Amino acid sequence: MNSSTPNAWPRSPRRFALHLSVGAVSGFVLAALATVLIAGLSLQSMAARTVMVERVSHTLEVLQELATLMSTANDAETGQRGYLLTGTENYLEPYLAAKAALPVEVEKLAELTADDAHQHDRVETLQHLIADKIAELDHTIELRRGGDAEAALAVVRSDVGKIAMDRIRAGVAAIEGAEKMQLEQREADLRDAAVVSTRVVLFGAALLLFLIIVAAAMVSRDQAAREAIAWQREGQIGLGEKLQGDQSLQPLGERALRFLAQYLDAQAGAIYAIEEDGWLRRVAAYAPAPDAAEEKLRPGGRLIGQALKENRVLHVKDVPADYMEIGSGTGRANARELLIVPARARGIAQGVVELGFFRTLRADEREFVEHVAESLGMAFRAASDRVRLEELLEETQRQAEELQAQQEELRVSNEELEEQGRILREQRMQVESQRAELEENNAQLEEQTQALESQRDQLTSAQSVLTSKAAELERANRYKSEFLANMSHELRTPLNSTLILAGLLADNKDGNLTEGQVKFAQTIVSAGNDLLALINDILDLSKIEARQIEMQYEQISLADVVGNLRATFEPVAAQKALAFEIRVDRDVPEAISIDGQRLLQILRNLLANAFKFTEQGSVGLYLHGVAGKRIAFDVADTGIGLPEHQYEIIFEAFRQADGSTHRQYGGTGLGLSIARDLAGMLGGTIEVSSKVGQGSTFTLTVPESGDFAANADPAAPVQPPKRAVPVLLPASGPVETQVRLEEKSAGAARRGPPARRVLIIESDSAFARTLCELAHDAGFECHVTHTASEGLAAAVSYAPSGIVLDLNFPDRAGLGVLDQLKHDPRTRHIPVHVLSPADHEQEALALGAAGYALKPAQREQLIEAFRGLDRKFSQTLRRVLVVEDDDQQRDSIRRLLGSDDTEITGVAGAEAALQELRRTTFDCVVMDLNLPDMSGLELLEQMASQDEISFPPVIVYTGREVSGEEEQELRRFSSSIIIKDVRSPERLLDEVTLFLHQVESRLPQESQRLLRAARNRDAALENRRILIVEDDVRNIYALSSVLESTGARLEIARNGREALDMLERSTGQRASAIDLVLMDIMMPVMDGLSAMRAIRQRSEWKRLPIIALTAKAMKDDQEVCLAAGANDYIAKPLDVEKLLSLIRVWMPKK
Amino acid sequence: MDAEEVSEADISPLDTFDIELRLLVDAVYLRYHYDFRRYAMASLKRRMTAAMSQFDCRTLSQLQDKVLHEPTVFSALLNYLTVQVSEMFRDPGYFLALRTSVLPLLRTYPSLKIWVAGCSTGEEAYSLAILLHEEGLLSRSLIYATDINPHALKKAEAGVYEIDRIAEFTDNHRKSGSTHSLSEYYTAAYDHAVFDAALKKHLVFSDHSLATDTVFAEVQFVSCRNVLIYFDRELQDRAVGLFRDALCRKGFLGIGAKESLGLSAHSEAFDKVAREHRIFQKKA
Repeated sequence: MNSSTPNAWPRSPRRFALHLSVGAVSGFVLAALATVLIAGLSLQSMAARTVMVERVSHTLEVLQELATLMSTANDAETGQRGYLLTGTENYLEPYLAAKAALPVEVEKLAELTADDAHQHDRVETLQHLIADKIAELDHTIELRRGGDAEAALAVVRSDVGKIAMDRIRAGVAAIEGAEKMQLEQREADLRDAAVVSTRVVLFGAALLLFLIIVAAAMVSRDQAAREAIAWQREGQIGLGEKLQGDQSLQPLGERALRFLAQYLDAQAGAIYAIEEDGWLRRVAAYAPAPDAAEEKLRPGGRLIGQALKENRVLHVKDVPADYMEIGSGTGRANARELLIVPARARGIAQGVVELGFFRTLRADEREFVEHVAESLGMAFRAASDRVRLEELLEETQRQAEELQAQQEELRVSNEELEEQGRILREQRMQVESQRAELEENNAQLEEQTQALESQRDQLTSAQSVLTSKAAELERANRYKSEFLANMSHELRTPLNSTLILAGLLADNKDGNLTEGQVKFAQTIVSAGNDLLALINDILDLSKIEARQIEMQYEQISLADVVGNLRATFEPVAAQKALAFEIRVDRDVPEAISIDGQRLLQILRNLLANAFKFTEQGSVGLYLHGVAGKRIAFDVADTGIGLPEHQYEIIFEAFRQADGSTHRQYGGTGLGLSIARDLAGMLGGTIEVSSKVGQGSTFTLTVPESGDFAANADPAAPVQPPKRAVPVLLPASGPVETQVRLEEKSAGAARRGPPARRVLIIESDSAFARTLCELAHDAGFECHVTHTASEGLAAAVSYAPSGIVLDLNFPDRAGLGVLDQLKHDPRTRHIPVHVLSPADHEQEALALGAAGYALKPAQREQLIEAFRGLDRKFSQTLRRVLVVEDDDQQRDSIRRLLGSDDTEITGVAGAEAALQELRRTTFDCVVMDLNLPDMSGLELLEQMASQDEISFPPVIVYTGREVSGEEEQELRRFSSSIIIKDVRSPERLLDEVTLFLHQVESRLPQESQRLLRAARNRDAALENRRILIVEDDVRNIYALSSVLESTGARLEIARNGREALDMLERSTGQRASAIDLVLMDIMMPVMDGLSAMRAIRQRSEWKRLPIIALTAKAMKDDQEVCLAAGANDYIAKPLDVEKLLSLIRVWMPKK
Repeated sequence: MDAEEVSEADISPLDTFDIELRLLVDAVYLRYHYDFRRYAMASLKRRMTAAMSQFDCRTLSQLQDKVLHEPTVFSALLNYLTVQVSEMFRDPGYFLALRTSVLPLLRTYPSLKIWVAGCSTGEEAYSLAILLHEEGLLSRSLIYATDINPHALKKAEAGVYEIDRIAEFTDNHRKSGSTHSLSEYYTAAYDHAVFDAALKKHLVFSDHSLATDTVFAEVQFVSCRNVLIYFDRELQDRAVGLFRDALCRKGFLGIGAKESLGLSAHSEAFDKVAREHRIFQKKA
């Protein structure tokens, strides 16, 4: 352990108070036992030696006693001999002493040798010998004493004594010899014992020393182990603190790793957690090299995987130099050792800890890591458990949320239903009270009805009288008018010749008439002209009253009008010496739309009157604008004037203000009448203001644009001539006609039984009016709307049998209206004829228009359009061709589809079908794909390619499954494919019904397509190859019909993978190289974004234009498309025009 | 300060929360282009209250601050803004009704497209794939499964579900009228069940918002269950309008058991097929 680490080796004194380990204790106990043993052995050996010594001394004692005995025996013999020789009792003294001592000594000897049986026997023998000797001695002594010295000496000479003595000596020698042997033995034993004792002591000391050393070593080891344990425990506690608390895996791992690295002085490290899929995810790294291991590791791979798999610690020493690099700001070095420890919890691996060291690892450090790995594993497990728990909790919360949301939805629904119920109840109550009221009213009404009925009866009779009177009057009036018209004609013819002849006379070419006669002739001419004017006036008036005059509207220049009047009246003014002044205001338009002849007629009449009734002063014409786009012509004079009560009278035919006036000023008096009537017909008025003697001012006011159609503009309806002004012509004929034609409101339009009605959606009211008239001529009732939204509403409410649609709208593109009409089930069946100022024919027809005309349209074209609509409307019998080879099936289809107004033609083969199609037209074809003579697809292709064959809507009705490619092919010709199954008859009936009642918008589809193609070929796209990557059949169909008509060649891929394959195939081949890609985003197998990225990875496709088609609407979705490699982006639903222009923009120039 | 208190007293705290909520969804829309502005407020409120405590925010404004400046927070918040609850063959009766009333008609189309709108983690889409497989229609079918939550979509795409949910799935599957075993369609490994790649071949998972995006394909059947409940009436109308436009003539629409079309602006466009199971058919 590096001493620089402060936490290492914590030494605290109290730790020494710990008990010794069992090893150490047993060491000490052994030492103590050894000491005791050695002591015992020593004691024993000493005791043995003491015994030995005692034995030796005993032996020596025996030997000494033996010596003493011998000497005593000798003394006794010596004494005896001395006595025997001397007979002196003195010599007996040693003998007596010996005789007394000998038994004692023998006894003593016996005692000493009592423990030794042999010796004892010998001693007993000796005792007997000694006793015998003593007895011999005594005997001799007695003998001597008895005086028998010779006997005694004889005895002595008999060697009995010597023999006895020898025996004793031999006995003693035997004892002595035995004792000496014993002594030798004992001495040898003693020596041995000493050696043993020495050895025991030496060995014991050595053993003791050894034991003490062992015990000491054990104590020291225990201490080391204790300290290591203490260190580990401290580390575990420290780590435990780090692992505490609710932590998720990441912070947990990081804290743990930081702690471990610091605690162990590791220089690098990482912790991996095991994911659900078995992969290892790095949750923490300590001083990792930037390019070190990845974030995720495959299970079983690498050392880490191996460690996990074997479920053991891997300690790698001598790590290769470039294996793990640890760098600081100033340099870098390589880890020398690597420790990889699986973190387990309850035996299941939860993660792996990897640590790198500069130094060699100690075993206890490794052990420590192993230990903490376990707790780390537990912590990991706990963390993942917690995550799981949280997930479960969240799941529960989400479910609760869903339940609540559902309840709320129900509650809202309920509330809304309740609200509706409440409204219904209220309505019912209202209805009830209304009903009561109505009943009341009814009763009243009944009474009133009765009253009215009687009144009506009266009125009816009065009316019939009146009617007959009116008829009579009208007849009379007509007769009068006719009479007048005829009469004036009859009058004019002779008058004409009279005038011519009178003129000739007045010319007096021959010069044979007198001046007076010429004057007469001139008078005749003048009077005749007056008469002619009068007749003309009468004729005019009668024509006006008989409604025989038509206004000829045209644009006329007011300057021309004024010029004309000036030329006419300036000579008159000059003649009468009157001033004639004409003023035109600035706000007067240069030209107005009016019947110029009639305008001049009125103005001339007014001016003529003015000049006629003015003797001096001036006559003025003053033009100025009036509110409501009207223009006023003031004719002012300084003539005689007229009183107010005559204002009306002067306009009445055949009356004049003053009977005398006529006589004084001449004239028929019809002029003003005519002027007033004409002004009325022009939508104008004539007013008069005058003062007697001061002059009069007649004011003619006419609309600037007198056209009725313009008047019909709903925004500013021209008021019919005001009845408040008495001089007005009562609203009559033409105005009424106009109202009838307009039929403004949809409600008003709903009258009568559903007749043939046509709805005209047209923003230009003048044109709408023309259309309306044409519609009337064609026998349609007519309803006009001017905006798209009104039109759409009216298409539903008015339920017309046909619609004429203008494409030029302020509020919505006309094609959009058409599309909406064709998508609304309530209006889709109505044939729509499209009028357009621009050429949108192909789009319109594609969207389902029945016909198309460019504006401005010829009258004949329009009439034809109405006839077309008429035909559509009146066509009732529908024809269906069934192409099916199975007789029974054909029959069942016939029965399914047949009805009174549907005629079914059944054929069994394709050829027969083609023949039928050539022969007549069908509204719909139902065909099987499996036919005996050719496949269904071939039949369709033939139908499409042969011009003489019409191409009605086709329903493919087949018993077999249709592959994706097949379906795509079929969809070119047929929008409806039905696979036979239990429920298919239902669908067949449904689809056929739809086609039969759908307006046949598509003419022969293929010829339509060719037509379009011819018109639409776009040089930029001609023969260019466009790859459409799209899986939605509806969109493929729409895109291909638009793009093919531009002359582009199309390739279709249904997902990104197919697109890549197609690009791959076409690359490098000039002829089939793809020029542009239209890429849908949402597709199976490979989506558009991935496909675009894959395309952009290839260098040769880097510049290939790609336009993404997506349903996503947000701005960043667009950015995602562009980031993936799209050049541009267009949102669905596709705007054809926009798409085409995008394609033109991006199509590479050749 | 006093004035402020007075004005605070005038406005109930709920109103402040409402204001903040509106600002938050506006902020989310402007910053991340997720449109929750027409979601049902009551439900959003609850979920945001939960989110506040999760993100340790005292007010929604604080949360808004975090959401605007930390994209990761938004990513996490998305799981609160959307409610991901799903299980396989949920409401088995619905699937039974599909088997009996819808599939016989779908069978007559040469190819089938189905749109699972708001697919969440994909359980419904897999269920439909299994249903189609069992009825022999999967080979010609394509199921578009869309959602706005990328986390959920990722999970859906993986097709891996916790093993302890399988029991419930199996039970539902059986009740849906199947004669097969659900185990034919998945492989269990460790604690998870992985659904067959063969099913996934017919599934397209994609990001699509019913609030902002348009129709992307013509489909024969739309299944959108328990999604409309989180929308307000206007957004419900928009979504149902999308379904109507996406469906072919006589196409089918299935919605959640607690949802209804009766009050929708498009209710007229649909006929009821299985009233109890909320299956509708678009009129011709």
